[in-house]
Amino acid sequence: MAVEIAPKSPKPLMACLSSGKGGVGKTSLTVNLAFALAQKGLRVLVVDGDLGLANVDVLLGLQVKTNIRNIMDLEADPMEAVVYVEPGLGILPAGSGVPDMANLGPEDHRQLGEILRSIAGNFDIVLVDTAAGIGASVLWFNTLVDYNILVLTPDPTAMTDAYALIKVLSRDYHRKRFHLLVNQVKNDQEGRQVYDHLAKVASHFLNLNLVYLGAVPRDEAVSKGVRSQAPFIKVSPQSKAAQAVSRHAEFFLNRIAQRSGGQKKVGEAGG
Amino acid sequence: MQDPSRSLTLCPLGAEDCPLCAEVRRLQEEFGHLQELVNTDPLTGLFNRRHLMNALDQEMERTRRTGLPTGLIMLDLDYFKRVNDTYGHPAGDEALKWTTGLWRDNLRRIDIPCRYGGEEFSIILPGTRLSVAVKVAKRLQIVLQNSPLLLLGQQVTLTASFGVDTFTSIEELSVRAFIKRTDHYLLEAKVKGRNQVCYQKPEPAKQTPEVTVDERAALSGMSAAPEKGATCKKRTSVRD
Repeated sequence: MAVEIAPKSPKPLMACLSSGKGGVGKTSLTVNLAFALAQKGLRVLVVDGDLGLANVDVLLGLQVKTNIRNIMDLEADPMEAVVYVEPGLGILPAGSGVPDMANLGPEDHRQLGEILRSIAGNFDIVLVDTAAGIGASVLWFNTLVDYNILVLTPDPTAMTDAYALIKVLSRDYHRKRFHLLVNQVKNDQEGRQVYDHLAKVASHFLNLNLVYLGAVPRDEAVSKGVRSQAPFIKVSPQSKAAQAVSRHAEFFLNRIAQRSGGQKKVGEAGG
Repeated sequence: MQDPSRSLTLCPLGAEDCPLCAEVRRLQEEFGHLQELVNTDPLTGLFNRRHLMNALDQEMERTRRTGLPTGLIMLDLDYFKRVNDTYGHPAGDEALKWTTGLWRDNLRRIDIPCRYGGEEFSIILPGTRLSVAVKVAKRLQIVLQNSPLLLLGQQVTLTASFGVDTFTSIEELSVRAFIKRTDHYLLEAKVKGRNQVCYQKPEPAKQTPEVTVDERAALSGMSAAPEKGATCKKRTSVRD
């Protein structure tokens, strides 16, 4: 059934976190960012967009009863598929391990788009955790959202793959604004260097100005969180990674506050 | 739901042997038969070119809606004129009929084999990827060359050349353009010496084919990157 709370704003802010390369910590960052935003008083929806091999539910140890595939096939109420991990934080799991979800056709995409839109209205912000690579579903999710966020690490292949995704999205899908979130850095300076380098190449070859969202340091708390199937921002709130993610969450808080003309009160850290 | 054709054959007055209804039934059967003839090649019993165009149009529309590719094979029997010249046209017709039987036996029920004209055939493969369509074509090629037929008491081995292509939902293509593109691979097979299957070879898989050599060099930091306009454009400030 639909959530009782009436929507605060008709159009939630939607962001896609993609990486090009797998294993850069994209899902972990998405989940922790979602928790940070929920802690700040927002109603957050995480969409598990890794349709072929979904793992947000695994990361959080959730018991999933129904998923996007079931909704699409059975036309059930989409809100029934949303699993609430906290009162203000819902997860929309994809069909974990359902192989045909990765090969959706145009008709399926339309239907999935309608499902997402119908659910999104119940939230302030929607974060889509896409699959790795530049497959059709990754590109499609990225065209749906307001913010295209590229997660990468200082690893050269992660940079190349992020660049490839930026290139395809800008060239074929006319996306022009990309935000970079650099994960697993030694220090802030390294994150900044990675951004500077990629921004320079993107400016030269693609005529794009990339935006730096920030960095998240390499931190033992992160792997501990994954092992215990709990977000590090809750398990180790004082860790460097948790504090960094919390800072980045404010970026979205500000954007949402700006959207609602500064009248909306969003959590104690907003503004 | 009631079958509309059946409702027409029931007399509205309830008469058991209504001559008008009997006539309607006869006309319906004849119509069905004619409809079949309109879409069938009389010699081989395969679908004809008219049906090919309609069916391909439908399958391509299905691809646009479902995202599943449509495969197409165009094939032409090699040196068929020689068969006609050597054994006469009736024997040539027999050879065509016999070949058609081979196609039928080696295709799936969903496939749509058509006689395009003369000794040229088209086979629509609904919901089929290129790699699978190529396999089907190679199977037909091998079956044909391994199955000699008897013409006027002589064993004759026929071969054919094949062009294979697929239509995917991301491209804009008309039915005619799709046939023409596939025909191009058939021509290639002919030029390369016949009795073979030609198709669009996929690019060899590279790690990230979207990134050019220059971009890769710039990214890896080996080249000092941008000479032209070396200074970056005014960079958007942090968290713009």
